[in-house]
Amino acid sequence: MMSLQNPAQEYSSDWVLLNMAVRLRWLCGVLGVALAVVIGAYWYHQIIRAEHYERLAENNRLRVLRLDAPRGLIYDRSGRILVENTPTFRLMIDRSASSDLGASLAFAAGILGREERELRAALERHRGVAREVPVLLAEDLELTQVARFEVSEPEHPEFEISTSRRRLYRHSFQTAHVVGYLGEPTPAEHDRDDSLAAGDLVGRSGVELLRDRRLRGNHGERIVVVDSRGRLMGEDVQRADAEPGESVTLTIDLRLQQLAESLLADKAGAIVALDPRDGAVRAMVSSPSFDPNRFAGRLSQEDWDRIVHAPGKPLQNRAIQNTYPPGSVFKIVMAVAGLAEGLLDPEERVYCSGATRLYDRRWRCWQRRGHGFVDLRGALQHSCDTYFYRQGVKIGIEVIAAYARRLGLGGRTGVELPGESEGLVPDPEWSRDRRGYPWYPGETVSVAIGQGPLLTSPLQVAVMTAAVANGGFRVRPYLVAGGGEPPEPLGLDAEVIAFVAEALANVVANGTGRSARTPVVAVAGKTGTAQVVAQETWIRSEDLPPDQADHAWFTSYAPVDAPELVVVVFVENGGRGSEAAAPLARELIEDHFGAAAGT
Amino acid sequence: MLPQEPDRWHLLRRVRSVSWLLGGSALALSVIGLVVISSASADMNTDYEVRQSAWIALGLVVLAAAAAVDYTFLLRYAFWIYLAAVAVLAAVTFFGHEAGGARSWIGIGGFGGQPSDFCKIATVLLLARHMAEAQAPVAPRGWLWSASAFVVAPVLLIALQPDMGGALMFVPMLAAMSIVAGLRLRSALIALGVAAVVAGAIWVFALQDYQKDRVSSFFRPDADPLGSGYQVRQSRIAIGSGQMLGKGYGEGTQSNLQFLPTPHTDFVFAVLGEEYGFMGVTVVLGLLLLYLGNGVRAALAARDPAGMLLVVGLLAFIAGHVLYNTAMVVGLLPITGIPLPFLSYGGSFMLFCCAATGLMIRVDVQRFVNI
Repeated sequence: MMSLQNPAQEYSSDWVLLNMAVRLRWLCGVLGVALAVVIGAYWYHQIIRAEHYERLAENNRLRVLRLDAPRGLIYDRSGRILVENTPTFRLMIDRSASSDLGASLAFAAGILGREERELRAALERHRGVAREVPVLLAEDLELTQVARFEVSEPEHPEFEISTSRRRLYRHSFQTAHVVGYLGEPTPAEHDRDDSLAAGDLVGRSGVELLRDRRLRGNHGERIVVVDSRGRLMGEDVQRADAEPGESVTLTIDLRLQQLAESLLADKAGAIVALDPRDGAVRAMVSSPSFDPNRFAGRLSQEDWDRIVHAPGKPLQNRAIQNTYPPGSVFKIVMAVAGLAEGLLDPEERVYCSGATRLYDRRWRCWQRRGHGFVDLRGALQHSCDTYFYRQGVKIGIEVIAAYARRLGLGGRTGVELPGESEGLVPDPEWSRDRRGYPWYPGETVSVAIGQGPLLTSPLQVAVMTAAVANGGFRVRPYLVAGGGEPPEPLGLDAEVIAFVAEALANVVANGTGRSARTPVVAVAGKTGTAQVVAQETWIRSEDLPPDQADHAWFTSYAPVDAPELVVVVFVENGGRGSEAAAPLARELIEDHFGAAAGT
Repeated sequence: MLPQEPDRWHLLRRVRSVSWLLGGSALALSVIGLVVISSASADMNTDYEVRQSAWIALGLVVLAAAAAVDYTFLLRYAFWIYLAAVAVLAAVTFFGHEAGGARSWIGIGGFGGQPSDFCKIATVLLLARHMAEAQAPVAPRGWLWSASAFVVAPVLLIALQPDMGGALMFVPMLAAMSIVAGLRLRSALIALGVAAVVAGAIWVFALQDYQKDRVSSFFRPDADPLGSGYQVRQSRIAIGSGQMLGKGYGEGTQSNLQFLPTPHTDFVFAVLGEEYGFMGVTVVLGLLLLYLGNGVRAALAARDPAGMLLVVGLLAFIAGHVLYNTAMVVGLLPITGIPLPFLSYGGSFMLFCCAATGLMIRVDVQRFVNI
């Protein structure tokens, strides 16, 4: 067969094949280099960067799910629920499961009836969170919205509905300042507290803040295996159950609290009721109030501003954070100081003509007609200013200030709530150090009737009154049941206290506090009408502009023989204490003791 | 007629180690592929390992058949084979099944096949004959251009399906065959220039947005981990987390929890990397190298330029798939649908690989034989 072929062609074919073989070997070299590069890449990723990828694979596969601990409940003293948790639906988004985040957000915005921009902003907050971890997009979904997200699951697997709990303040406005409200923790708080996770809320005021850590409990954790679409696969890798938050029982009496709140409706002011035997706060109301449920979700900045800057500053707790001149309520301190120091003779009579002259100034009594001759009993009973002007000068500012402080004014009462004010009990030292000029003797005259620089909070007045009611003990007011301390003896002569107590009983029985008198129980008390602005001439409070009208005070306790309840009513710019404050105290006392007596 | 009679037995006596190593490495790779596919498709509804077994069995028949036919006979009818292949390809491109957004399938019973794989063999046959004719002492000029023209028809049809990866694989084949056939530097530079212009035109006019995304995401895979970069990222995680020894059969979390896309086809090598580690990668690449090396031995033993070019073309196709696929799953090249020979699940591609192996064996066996 070879013979059939042309020998020349055969030779050339061999030569051609040889040349082709050379070029083929050269190509093999190229292939070898390429394969070496590929092997090198696998070496780099599988050997050198192995740990990095192992971590990434674990992050892909494992997901840490937090098991929320239900926040503890808050009860009143008889076990009535004040604050509880209610189920709510939250919309979570797994950004790694969305092929087009913009479209996903537009879809969600359509269902939620919100701006896509808002959702984008909500998502921005979770920038630092790994993409595969679902993050909170919206809260408090309605059932119809939940249904629409569930139905669209095949097209939008990135959305997940999670059930959560929302704080429910059953008595909203009525207990707002006591129980407080929740808010989002600041970045600094997140750094400080490892137990806080994104989306948690913490107590921002009231008992919610005071007991925050214990109310919160401890979150649990589930480590699960998920596939690329976030579906759970198999058993939990690890699980630690959540520890629910501890519940808290307060000393508050819901019934009294509710009544107090309703009495202050449409007014600015505060009511404090406490047990003079141990300081347990039975009611604490500040008006105007707010609805803490508004804070239970996440507030927009506008909503927050609206609440903070609302007229009347509803977030302020007027019972402890604001201080006011006590007016004639302070005459209790004057009586105790004068008697205890022996500077006052209870039988001494002073003539009141409706005004008196001291330090070259005319000092008016509230009673223009004058009270005639009054002794200490009468001066307290009818709240004669002239008597206390003159006796105040005799007692002296140092003694007045010392007793005011001893009885609980001018310093924090120690109630557990945050933001308590100290108030102010002025004396010459304070004037020098803080005010920068000497004490005027005339200021002592003002202080003697609870005016001048003197400032007290309604709770301080309650503590002072409790000292008279309990026979001379200083109580520390408290809100959480079991949190009380034994009252501290003030070292006052029992006769002094008894004298003042008897005088206060007379105030209600037949003095300026008559409108607090009730057939249900014997009440003792003291009215106060504090001037907001200094007045040169005598003007009826009703004729003043509303924001300059007198503050109305009434502090009281009952029953007279064995006091169980101190009630302080304060109405900002309310006018006369006897008219604007004392009747409210009567209603509270009547209700409280009437209910206890079964009437 | 009598002298031909002993030739049949004569041929069998010429089967040497090249053939056994080609066939053996191909079978070993196919079995390894079967194991990896069975792990990767454990949670899928289709029993891919069973189907792949059937394809392997069919592939062995095709291999034997290809080895039994005189390749010069095939070369003689190369043009008609080519015409038939292109015609079927055109029919499928315009009327075929749509799967995954591309018309590239014909159904044969329960199995589907891609005629583009058959077209690869046909094109190599035609080019081998055409370029071998150019080796004659009075060689026709401009053979590179006519050869390129033969490639353009199937490439365009495959690109239209659209299967960019399949079309792309004709490029190393044409390059390798041309180089071995004696490409001049000047022609090579002109060809590169033309290729650059064509590539630019394809980018502007032919590529769809998702394809452009894939290419651009290749250069910054972490820019949008959800979009096109996702596959690269997940594939790298699979490979990297396999470390030295791998996680073991069925233990690959990336593949079994469906983080890896198409773990049984294009990303089968990533599953291998995850479950058998660098060790498994090295073994498989070693087997592939053994296969390619023996292919080269067959090419070098060819008795005529057409035989050598035929083997080179087939090898270039397979080497191109190997390099592109292994480089792509580790993130060295943009993701496109290019399977790994013998390991990826896929019927017609498996048949292509087996047919190519059979043809190489035939060229080696027929090395001294003149008919």
